Parts: sequence; C-alpha cells; structure tokens
Amino acid sequence: MEGSPSIELRGVDKEYRRAEFVVPVLSDLDLTVAEGEFLALMGPSGSGKSTLLNLVAGLDTATRGEVLVHGRNLGNLSEAEITRWRADNVGFIFQTYNLIPVLTAFENVELPLLLTKLSRKKRRENVKTALRIVGLEGRENHTPRQLSGGQEQRVAIARAIATDPYLLVADEPTGDLDRATAGEILDLLELLNREFQKTIVMVTHDPLAARRAHRVLYLDKGRLVDDVTDETSISAAS
Amino acid sequence: MKYFTYILRNARRNPVRTGLTIASTSICLFLMMILLSFFAMSAEVASASRIFNRIVTMNANGFAGMLPVARVRQIAAMDGVVAATPFQWYGGKYHDEVMPFAQFGVDADVVFDIIDEFTVPPDQLADFKANRKGAVIGRKLAKDRNLKVGDSLPLKGDIYPVDLDLVVSGIYDGPNNRDLRMCLFHFEYLDEALKQTAMAGSGGSLTTEAARRSGNAGSIFVKCRSAEMMTDLCRRIDDEYRSTEFPTRTQTEEAFGQMFEEMMGDLKNTVYWIGAAVVVSLLFVAGNAMAMSMRERTSEVAVLKAIGFNKGLVLFLVLTEAVLVAGLGGAIGALGCKFLCDFVDVARFSGGFLPFFYVPWNTALLGLGVSLFVGFASGLVPAVLAANSSVIDGLRKVV
Repeated sequence: MEGSPSIELRGVDKEYRRAEFVVPVLSDLDLTVAEGEFLALMGPSGSGKSTLLNLVAGLDTATRGEVLVHGRNLGNLSEAEITRWRADNVGFIFQTYNLIPVLTAFENVELPLLLTKLSRKKRRENVKTALRIVGLEGRENHTPRQLSGGQEQRVAIARAIATDPYLLVADEPTGDLDRATAGEILDLLELLNREFQKTIVMVTHDPLAARRAHRVLYLDKGRLVDDVTDETSISAAS
Repeated sequence: MKYFTYILRNARRNPVRTGLTIASTSICLFLMMILLSFFAMSAEVASASRIFNRIVTMNANGFAGMLPVARVRQIAAMDGVVAATPFQWYGGKYHDEVMPFAQFGVDADVVFDIIDEFTVPPDQLADFKANRKGAVIGRKLAKDRNLKVGDSLPLKGDIYPVDLDLVVSGIYDGPNNRDLRMCLFHFEYLDEALKQTAMAGSGGSLTTEAARRSGNAGSIFVKCRSAEMMTDLCRRIDDEYRSTEFPTRTQTEEAFGQMFEEMMGDLKNTVYWIGAAVVVSLLFVAGNAMAMSMRERTSEVAVLKAIGFNKGLVLFLVLTEAVLVAGLGGAIGALGCKFLCDFVDVARFSGGFLPFFYVPWNTALLGLGVSLFVGFASGLVPAVLAANSSVIDGLRKVV
C-alpha cells in the first residue's frame, strides 16, 4: 500500500512572532510520509499538529528547514505558485466543513474545478462522480443548511477530491460529528485511501479515528515524541 | 462567466442588506438624474434647435427693453430671411390658476413657417389666421386643461393691464423635446387691446402701462434661409440698430436657450457639488455594506484561498460583487428615472414651471457610470483586504 516517500520534512522549525516574543511551535522536526499513506497526527492542544498540517498542505512556510513534496521544496515557491500547487495537489477537509452556505452541494463541489480548464460538461461529470463516491447522489441541489452535519462533511470531502488531488489533509474531520456519523466519515476516508490511493494526513483527538490510520504520530511541545505504525500499538497507544 | 453563480449568490446572501444598498443607490441616483437632467436637457434642446436655422432678436438690454414691432417687417425684408414674427410674452392667468402657462403674441400668418417642427391641421391653421381672437395651443396644454377646438380661453392680464378673450382655433403637435404647452395668439389682438386701454384711459397708471407696452414685439423669431447665413444675419441686424434708441442683440436660437441657463448663475455648480456629495455619501453606504459582508466571510475567503483561488481572483470576485450591487442600484435609479420620464409626463406635476422634462441618454448613462464607479470604489478596500488576508488567520477558527 505504501510506496516511495511523497512528503519529507527535514529539520523543520516553525516560530511565530507575537510582538517582541518569539513563540516556537515546531522544533527540529524530521518526517517522511510515503505515497498512499494514511497518517494521523495526535497530541495535546498547542502541540503543533495543525501547524504541521499547514506546512504539509502548503498553507504556511517553515521558519527553518525544508518541506519537500515529491522532491519539490515548497519553501522555494512563490505565493502564486504555491496557490496553484495547492489547487492541483491538495484537498482540504475541515472540522466545521467550511462549505459556502449560499451555494448548493453541487456548486460547493464544483468550486475547485472552476480553477481548472475543464469544460462545463466535464466539471459536471466530475462533481457527480465525487458526490457519488461520498454517497450523496440526489442531494446536488441542497444547500448546506438543508443537510445534516455528516452530509455536510461528505460534501466537503467531495469538494476535496473533485480535482483528484493526491494529498488530502483533514483537520479533526469527525470533531463535530456523533460517533456513528464519524464512523461513516472515517469509512469514507479509508475508502479514498484504499481504493483511490489518496495520501491522507489527518489531525485528530479521537483515538477511534486514529486507529483507522496506518501510522500515528504523537507531538508534544512541537516535537515528535512517538511514531506508531503497527495496529496493536496504535490501539494500545490511543 | 463561470464565477457568475458564486458572485450572484453572494450578492443575495443577505437580501435585506443588499436590498437596502440597492435602494439607497437607486434613490440617490434617481434624484441626481432629476437635478442633472434639468441642465443637460436645456443644453440638449438648445443644441437640437440648430437644425431649424432660427435666430432671435431682443433688446440689447434684455427682455425689459423695448423692441418696436415695426422691426419685424424690417427684418423680414432683409436678405437671407425667410420669415419673422414677434414673440411677445403675455403671462395672463387662466381662470384662478396661479402659475401661468406660456402665452405668446405672434404673427399668425408666419409663425408656423418659422417654428416648422410644429404641425397644425390645415383647417385649424386657416381658422387661426382668419380669427383675430383665435389661439393655437400645444397638445399637452390641451390635455392638461381639457381644452378642445372651439373652447373659450379667457386670460386675465397680470403684467399687462388688459385681458384677452381667446378662442381655441387649433391644437399644434411636435417633437416631445419641444414645448407643447404654449398658447400662441395674434400679436395684433394684444397690441390693439393695449392701444385701446391707453387711449381710453385718463392718464392713470393703467393707461401709462398700456401705452408703454403697446407696439413692443418683445423678441423677434427669425427663420433664416440657411445655417451659413445665420451669423452674418445676426451681425447685420445688430449693426442696423446699433445707433438707435433701442439697440438689439441677435443670437442663434441655441445661444438664446443657453442664455436662460446662464441666468441661473451658480445654481448649476451648486447642483454639481450636491451631486458630488451624493456620490461620496453613496460610497460610504456601499462601502460599509461591502465591508460588513466581507467581515462575515473571513473564513470563507480563507477556504477559497486554501483550495487555490489566487489573490487576483479573490479581488475580482469581491469587486465584481460590489459593482453588481451598486450597478443594479444605478440601473434602477438612473435608467428607471429615464424610462419613467419618457413614459410619464412628469412636467405636468411641475405646476407649469417646466414645459417638458426628460432624462437625456448621456445623463442616464452618466448616472449608470457613477453607480459602477461607486461599486468599484466601495469594493476596492474590502477586496484588497480579502485578497491579502492570511489563510491561516482566516482558518484559525476551524483549522
């Protein structure tokens, strides 16, 4: 299932400046994520999980060190290049779904496709495919307000996969959902990883969600404190 | 075009706020159109009169000065003149009306050869020429006062010490941008009435006033043979009377129209300043609405940028939305005002102050342009802020 390294972090530091203070968030982090891997990031609040996710997704840049994706150093890309790179390669799944409330499910999923050169017909096909994969056929014309939380997250996942990116980043994707619905969303993520070979990096506080990953990284105070890969250890640790 | 749905849905996100922004823009522009059109229309009508090859002679000291009616004949005999008519303002009251409509004493035989854009049925025109008490009135005046051919039209003298007992001989029609609310009657009828009053009196103020006003043509409208002759003719007429007791000022009908505009002094500039103030206040209203709208969408903008919308695209989306909302207000206000004035005779409600009123196309398009500018300017700051906002900060609530 797992192939060659697709994401590499080498000696990454991340600091934020707050007035005259420098707040270190990540320190000397080395990490390799293989192609098609399902990685979970766990740790207490403020441990740097989301910051690490932002670096991997190209939303933020490292203070020191390198973030390489398929050998490409994201730190060397201009703002326009990194924006384009995200559009082509990354799908985002957020805890609170972050759908555009005035758009229908179809239009929300179509949003990232508007950035491509696809024809209207082809965009329509892609949207329908994405909605079929997440099990929301027939809900195209519903607005987010007309959908349940689980359905909204499915639309968000459809939006994330509409352009067929190779990397999905998910920040607490089940954080706002009940256990049964969370299970369905995790099933979907597993399906995307298994059937469609998507590399997934997921931040979670939920041990049950972490158990779905191939590998769990534990962060504390900006440092990698544990890296668990076998299923038994993941279950025990989480 | 593929972003239009997104822009449209966002513009309709808060219908009350968007509706109020559109309403404030349209109401302001509607009022602005009324003010600006007043001047633009005068200028347009004056310039449109060029094709009629008419010049107007008046006393060099203005309308209060005397212009002997004998000069009508003298000018008519000049080379290059087709016809000339006195055009004497009467200003009498019809029944108990306070505001008089336009009434002029003219030469019935030639007036419609000079103002040839007006048409009168031949039988009515013949009756007008034959009947000394006859009058021809404009179509709109006839409609306003419910007057028909054969109706009595008594006018009570206000500035003149004589009353006129006119009869409607005919109804003229013409283009909508000409005065269709005039009453044209025989100059001789007024002049004879004045002479009779002057002779019958015993030297009192009425007698003196009647004597002073009789024989005065007021102004003389002259039809020239060609446009090329107009300037020369103006010069020749004024040269002819330069050294007389009543020197003249002759100008083209266009210049004559502009003279009325100049009489309003600084009012035009005042109106323009009011217009500018309206635009600035509109900017604040639309800018505030757009800023509020964008503040509510901080995380949505962050999501858009996260999934690959670049700065330029975010800028375009926000600006287009602002221009769309303000432009819609402008279209309703400016174009709505234009079409309303085209289809409804709003001059009727001016109490006789305006013979006609319409919004010229260039003024309506100026209004639309102003609204688009307001949209662009009001959306610029929120758009730049959104385009430059941090994705991380915007997603912080959720990521």
